[in-house]
Amino acid sequence: MLNKKILRDIWKNKSQFITVFIMVFLAVFAFAGVHAYMDGMKASSEIYYKEQNLQDIWLTSKDFNKDKLEEIKKTDNVKNAERLLTINANVIDPERFTNPDTNKKLSDLVIECNFIETNEINKMYLIDGEEYSKEKNGLWLDYYLANKLQIKVGDELELSIEGNTFKENVVGLVEVPDHVYFIKDDTAIFPTHTDFGFAYLSINEFPKEYIYNKVLETEEVQDAIDNLKELKDTLSKFGITDYSKIPDMITNSIEGIDDIDLSRALELVDDYSESKEEFIKALDNEFSIEDSYVFPYVIVDVDDVSKIDETKNKIKENIEDIITVTLRDDNLSYDGFKREAEEGDTYSGVFSGLFVFIAILSVVTTMNRFVKKERTQIGTLKALGIKRGKITRMYVSYGFFISFIASILGIVLGDLVIGNFFLEEEMAYYEIPYYNIVTIPLVYYVTIAIIVVITLVTYLSCRKILKEPAAQALRIERPKVKVRENSITTKRLFNKLSLSTKWNIRDIGRSKGRTLMAVVGIAGCTMLVVTAFGMLDSMKSYVSWDFDTINNFEYKLSLSSDYTDKQFDDIVSKYGDSTSMSTAIEFKNNDEIIIKALTINDSKELLQVTDHNRNPFKMNDDGLYITEKMASIYNLKVGDTIEWHIVGSDNWYNTKIVGLNRDPQAQQFSCTKNFFDTLDEEYKADSVYTNVDLSGIKEIPGVNTIQTIKNLEDGMNSMLNMMYSLIALLIGVSIVLAIVIIYNLGILSFSEKEYQFATLKVLGFKYKNIKKIFIKQNIWIGIIAIIIALPLGNFMTDYIFKNAIGDSYDFEAMIKPITFIFSAIGTFIVVYIVNQFLSKKIRKIDMVSSLKGNE
Amino acid sequence: MEKIVELKNVSKVYKIGDNEFKALDNIDLSLNKGEMIVILGPSGAGKSTLLNLIGGMDIPTSGNVIIDGENISKYNENKLSDYRAENVGFIFQFYNILPSLTVKENVDIVKDIVKNPISTEEALKGVGLLAHSKKFPNQLSGGEQQRVSIARAIAKNPKLLLCDEPTGALDSKTGVEVLKLLRKQCDGNNGANTVIIVTHNALIADIADTVINVKNGKIESVITNENPKKIEEVSW
Repeated sequence: MLNKKILRDIWKNKSQFITVFIMVFLAVFAFAGVHAYMDGMKASSEIYYKEQNLQDIWLTSKDFNKDKLEEIKKTDNVKNAERLLTINANVIDPERFTNPDTNKKLSDLVIECNFIETNEINKMYLIDGEEYSKEKNGLWLDYYLANKLQIKVGDELELSIEGNTFKENVVGLVEVPDHVYFIKDDTAIFPTHTDFGFAYLSINEFPKEYIYNKVLETEEVQDAIDNLKELKDTLSKFGITDYSKIPDMITNSIEGIDDIDLSRALELVDDYSESKEEFIKALDNEFSIEDSYVFPYVIVDVDDVSKIDETKNKIKENIEDIITVTLRDDNLSYDGFKREAEEGDTYSGVFSGLFVFIAILSVVTTMNRFVKKERTQIGTLKALGIKRGKITRMYVSYGFFISFIASILGIVLGDLVIGNFFLEEEMAYYEIPYYNIVTIPLVYYVTIAIIVVITLVTYLSCRKILKEPAAQALRIERPKVKVRENSITTKRLFNKLSLSTKWNIRDIGRSKGRTLMAVVGIAGCTMLVVTAFGMLDSMKSYVSWDFDTINNFEYKLSLSSDYTDKQFDDIVSKYGDSTSMSTAIEFKNNDEIIIKALTINDSKELLQVTDHNRNPFKMNDDGLYITEKMASIYNLKVGDTIEWHIVGSDNWYNTKIVGLNRDPQAQQFSCTKNFFDTLDEEYKADSVYTNVDLSGIKEIPGVNTIQTIKNLEDGMNSMLNMMYSLIALLIGVSIVLAIVIIYNLGILSFSEKEYQFATLKVLGFKYKNIKKIFIKQNIWIGIIAIIIALPLGNFMTDYIFKNAIGDSYDFEAMIKPITFIFSAIGTFIVVYIVNQFLSKKIRKIDMVSSLKGNE
Repeated sequence: MEKIVELKNVSKVYKIGDNEFKALDNIDLSLNKGEMIVILGPSGAGKSTLLNLIGGMDIPTSGNVIIDGENISKYNENKLSDYRAENVGFIFQFYNILPSLTVKENVDIVKDIVKNPISTEEALKGVGLLAHSKKFPNQLSGGEQQRVSIARAIAKNPKLLLCDEPTGALDSKTGVEVLKLLRKQCDGNNGANTVIIVTHNALIADIADTVINVKNGKIESVITNENPKKIEEVSW
């Protein structure tokens, strides 16, 4: 019989139970959904890294020859090591491909070519095509790039490395674990997979022309060529044209001639363009192309990760000319992806945690009120002799079953809808071949806690009534009016207020719990809306700071590491001498040696340095500048002296910090070239900035990549597009939650006052008069909530940017006034509309039943 | 005498699920202006329904309710509100005063809806509560609360004062005080005010000018009391 009562009660109070259901569902839906994709990202990457054997250590040097590689392999704890030759190549005819995002033909397409020997570490994950082998021709191409540009296995690409062209067939489409997060350079934030990708090739495929040209460009060979030409002239004066008949006496007199096939060298010296290999061999008969490849990178796999620091130090000590030894956390791909997943932890913590908090407060209030409303029924059941346990179980079951079903549905749909949608969105940028949503135990714990809290509150409310004698419980609880509190509102200024205003003020005072819940609920939802829009505003402001202020150029030319002086002179004469050099430095900070970047800026204001207020300023020539964020992390200030050196150099310097600057995404040191020139170091520019129109220019000798500021901005905007989805979800859930909370608390407020409204109706008050009284209070609550929410939204955005985003970024909330205005107006409209809708209930008040019911 | 209330063929049927319940069954009734009328009957007889129809709180399923010459059974909700505001004062068994308003404010509230109310002070003085005007309802006894309710009703200066079990929650002594106030309202204003009391307490019938007995939704009898008892003589 009691089961029938349960079902009928649920039906009778369906609107309240539906709102409770929706609130619990939304809270769990958002919480589980956000966690599903964040945790899915983390778990999928860990599996991927393990399966594909991501390297533990990255080494750089000018060249790792075979001996050095063997030496590295012999280091304790090193399981394996492999060499790489990584160089960017331009695709010769990029117009073949269309950027699917803009529907425009590509003007340039750069592929980072990784020439390798073996592939035991950082193994390629084959999506399509053949497995890698050193003996195979062709290239294994970045699957994401191929997918976007519709490149298939079997297609041919013509590539150019500094003018040396070569053709390769695509033999496989792959994903590689150290290319999960892959961007053109550190000025880009988000991968676009349209104009930049990567490929893996056997070292045998490296264009030999490139090596020959490099050998022929060396000073030593150029001197030899000059000498040979001189000798040829002299011999021709003596009428000697058959160089095989040069007397031994002459050849013996030339120094270092032992390795030279002089006659062949003399034959070819005037025109060796078609026979470079033969000419080089004529100059050096021990020349081998295999030995001429320059491998600047080695990747290392270790046996025991816990001993990695020891291994790192041993390699540093034992291997000559090593420049950097970095671990996973310093790797752009590994760290970039990890950071993205971890950023989500804060988002999910802040947003879904707030959803849960707001919804649960509201649900708890509702269940408490529901049980109180059932007071006389509980009293009746008790009077009938039904045991307390049975009555308790019945009422507790309302809270339990509704929260249980809503939670289960929340987890399932949260995972399936939010989890899958956002995981797909994220994985459009991050290259991981297999990924799945994951539900970690925390989600279950939080869900269980929600169910327990709701059930417990229902139980406690019910127990309180059951503790009373049945006769007392049969009487309805009279509303409590605290005379002392209300007396204040009968004096002075209050006397001048209208009756409805006084009535509402006292009603708020009487229903503090409900009012507080309403304020918290509406303020929470408004805060979430402000935060969601605020994040977007702040990101846009960041884009403007970075691309309108700091990067004051149209093109950035990233120079090859081995450009010649002539190439550099040509570049600066054509495109201007705005240059910079970036180098890794180590500095001492409280007995710790920290590695950071130093940018030597000679950009003539094309690469600006900005102050605290994001305004550009000119650096002085008397010391180092440090970004504010880094200064705060390492507790440094202007006037402090730091001890530092360039990585790979033994010259240590003590330099004063002469100023602070701010940079949104590069926390580092900066100085002018004039200051750098005072040190015992050579300035070798690695970037040139220009506003000369380079459209149509695909290759410049000595330049690795040409980047347009527009492409970098497009990358950022692509990231903003992804944020739109997240923001739309947050705003959507916030609005639905706000509507449900306002509606639910409105219903509670209405049902508490129904008999009073009925009295007013009996007295002759018209619908619009009563509606005015009813809406007045809710509008006040809405306005108070909005006033509280706006600064909280700003605070929350700031908190997210300062805490969620890694130390390498310096973001802050930059919310436009219009965002606050829109959020405030939007919330007010929601409050107003929901209350208009609720106030329709006034029309339906049955005076007779309401007044009788109260008796 | 001038008629204030006329009911012609009035029926009120409530639908409860598939069943119909006839609360009033084809009633004809006329009540005189300036009288104190008591409607008597057992629980469920239809007396409150009758009062609600007269008070414009409900509309009949069929028939006409004519108050002071106006057929209010054809009124829409808005006109019924105006009718209740200007013509009717209600007094309930459980007072139905607003707990968040002081005594004075509970009476003042009618000023927002009535064109010619009597002053709050006068109404409170009339019920002997002027000294308590700043108190909140929960600082008052049951009888005092009912007197606030009467003050609120008479402040409207209504043609009809409708009272549903006004002494039901009060002890005999306090009940008598309340009835005195109702009689006073009826006797004052040159006989322009009519008081209708619904009760199941037959003892109250002795003080009425007219007694209407209701049973099973029908008027069983209408008795004119030529010599109503003095209120002081009544007790229960």
